[in-house]
Amino acid sequence: MTEQVSAQQVSAHKDPVVIAFANEVLDGFSDVCKSLRYATFLTDDGFEVASIAGDEKQNRRVASMASSMQALGDAVARDLRIGGAEYIIIAAETGYVIQMRVPEHAMVLAAHFDAAETVGKALSVARLAASNMRTMVQEKAA
Amino acid sequence: MAEHVILFAGPMGAGKTTAIESLSEIETIRTEATNTDRETADKDTTTVALDYGEITVGDDDKVRLYGVPGQRRFNFMWTILKERAVGLVLLVNNDAADPIRELDEFLEEFGELHEKGGIVVCVTRSDVAPTPYLDKYAERIREVMPGRMIPVFTADARNGDQMRTALMSLIANIEITAMIADNQERAA
Ligand SMILES: Nc1nc2c(ncn2[C@@H]2O[C@H](COP(=O)(O)OP(=O)(O)O)[C@@H](O)[C@H]2O)c(=O)[nH]1
Ligand SMILES: [Mg+2]
Repeated sequence: MTEQVSAQQVSAHKDPVVIAFANEVLDGFSDVCKSLRYATFLTDDGFEVASIAGDEKQNRRVASMASSMQALGDAVARDLRIGGAEYIIIAAETGYVIQMRVPEHAMVLAAHFDAAETVGKALSVARLAASNMRTMVQEKAA
Repeated sequence: MAEHVILFAGPMGAGKTTAIESLSEIETIRTEATNTDRETADKDTTTVALDYGEITVGDDDKVRLYGVPGQRRFNFMWTILKERAVGLVLLVNNDAADPIRELDEFLEEFGELHEKGGIVVCVTRSDVAPTPYLDKYAERIREVMPGRMIPVFTADARNGDQMRTALMSLIANIEITAMIADNQERAA
């Protein structure tokens, strides 16, 4: 096979450059937000791109579950015709999980904060991380 | 017969999403995501949570059809959806790298649904890969689940009639299982 490989995009979780970006964004994320317990970038179809904290097996599991959640959120929003799902929040007793898509990319950010954070603050830092990731991936493509 | 929950399981690319689309009388609920794993199945999207459709059987028996993601990394969805199911349509694409092994693995994961109602196996994409033949599947089923009545069909997931035939045979088995359980209860 001598087809042009460059035309075919390497998926995010196998692209060392994208993985490096994701790690960089996650590092910055945990620096600005002390209540962040855990965060991961994953592909829409549930492969872990990069994570902070957590063990390998757990990270993979979270990536799969976050992917399912994202798709279910999208399905509900689609069915109710309320536009695309912007973010999903699971509020639990001792903390919460926020997840959202990296704008315009088949990638999702899932983050777990402890209860000390306000939802508003957590949301805004998560948005920033997702948007930073988008910028980096975009610049790479350009 | 009241409401039935039927699960559609099998490897990625077997045709679970397509089959539910072919069967459903309502607009199906889909959870497709961009597929980055082209080596396993060369298609644009893949199911990451569930498919959902409905079909009426007989006068007014509603059958709920749930499709699961084929990849093992989503097996938490298998556990969730298995709980309510009373029957299984196991789809195996004949062009898989090792379809008999897929049959094996999915029977191991979902075999318990036989006791809850019934199982039917549909071999898809046999136009793409003509072998293995059906008797290989039947043989393996007899080995892994001896003494159980598990019909095997070839079916094209895109073909509503073929899928309905398979589904009806499953529902017949589910009703028999329910009847036997009923009689045992009454006898006890
Ligand atoms: N040629 C052929 N294609 C089929 C047959 N059954 C299903 N397909 C196709 O195989 C693909 C199955 O994909 P999908 O339904 O997403 O599989 P899933 O991963 O099990 O949900 C679709 O493109 C179907 O149109 C068949 O019997 N023959
Ligand atoms: Mg599917």
